[in-house]
Amino acid sequence: MNEMIYLFAGYAVIWLAAFVFIFSMVSRQQSLQKDVEMLEQLTQQKQDS
Amino acid sequence: MTTNTLPSQQSKTETSAFSWGAAFTIFTGFIMLTALYVALVWAPEAVNLASPVERYAQRIFYFHVPAAWVGFLAFIFSALFSVIYLIKRQQKWDALALSSVEVGLAFFTMVMLSGPIWAKPTWNVWWTWDPRLTISTICWLLYIGYIMLRGAIDNPEREARFAAVFAIISSLSIPLNWMAIRWWRTIHPAVLSPGNNSGGEGGFGMSPDIRNALIFCTVAFTIFYINLMYHRVKLEMIKHRVESLKQDVLYQ
Repeated sequence: MNEMIYLFAGYAVIWLAAFVFIFSMVSRQQSLQKDVEMLEQLTQQKQDS
Repeated sequence: MTTNTLPSQQSKTETSAFSWGAAFTIFTGFIMLTALYVALVWAPEAVNLASPVERYAQRIFYFHVPAAWVGFLAFIFSALFSVIYLIKRQQKWDALALSSVEVGLAFFTMVMLSGPIWAKPTWNVWWTWDPRLTISTICWLLYIGYIMLRGAIDNPEREARFAAVFAIISSLSIPLNWMAIRWWRTIHPAVLSPGNNSGGEGGFGMSPDIRNALIFCTVAFTIFYINLMYHRVKLEMIKHRVESLKQDVLYQ
């Protein structure tokens, strides 16, 4: 098992980097999507008034 | 009438784009898991390496090299998009350049983290100031600098222009990085077309199965890059939608 420690560590950091990047994109996308909905509501309210 | 039909058409397009995007993302996930199987199970052992620790660690190669390839590819593409932006001054090219740098940085970070982990059992050190490793560090820092530069400039047009010039200059580090292990005396093995450096520490002969496994993983990583670019560009489009809606709310 100790012989495989570097192999595990190598693949762990590669997948970790990939997931951190994907997670950051998803959270930014969710936050922007909320902004879009809020701004669309504001625009609609402005047009109605 | 027009205002009633356009949103529904737009929604239909978005739904259709979403399903294609989702299918492509699932396909990418499947390809990456297959690449993991190929790297860890299917690929044969590098029998010429002395110890079992070295032989196991050698399998990092199947993800380390493709990640470096995609990093280089992404940075070269960002330079190309930047050149096109400087010529045409259309915002979409700047968005593509920024997206490519961000995705490339993610892949290059994989290289910078997995490299020392492979180096320890092979070279007996985590890090050495070898030409390839030093130039890779400079390259990595340059593109982190690109992201920081963009964050430091308020004017969007100026930000895009400065970033484009910076990306073009930074891309000079890519051919230098590629050639570093072929021009100078270095500990880093050059597995592909080694030139004068076939005897780098930890180098191994590529049997046809090892070569095929590497090719498969490289194709998988390239598909992963295209998929991440698709999502990153989509994010940039939403960002611009937010900006235009803000303008509407403030100045309508």
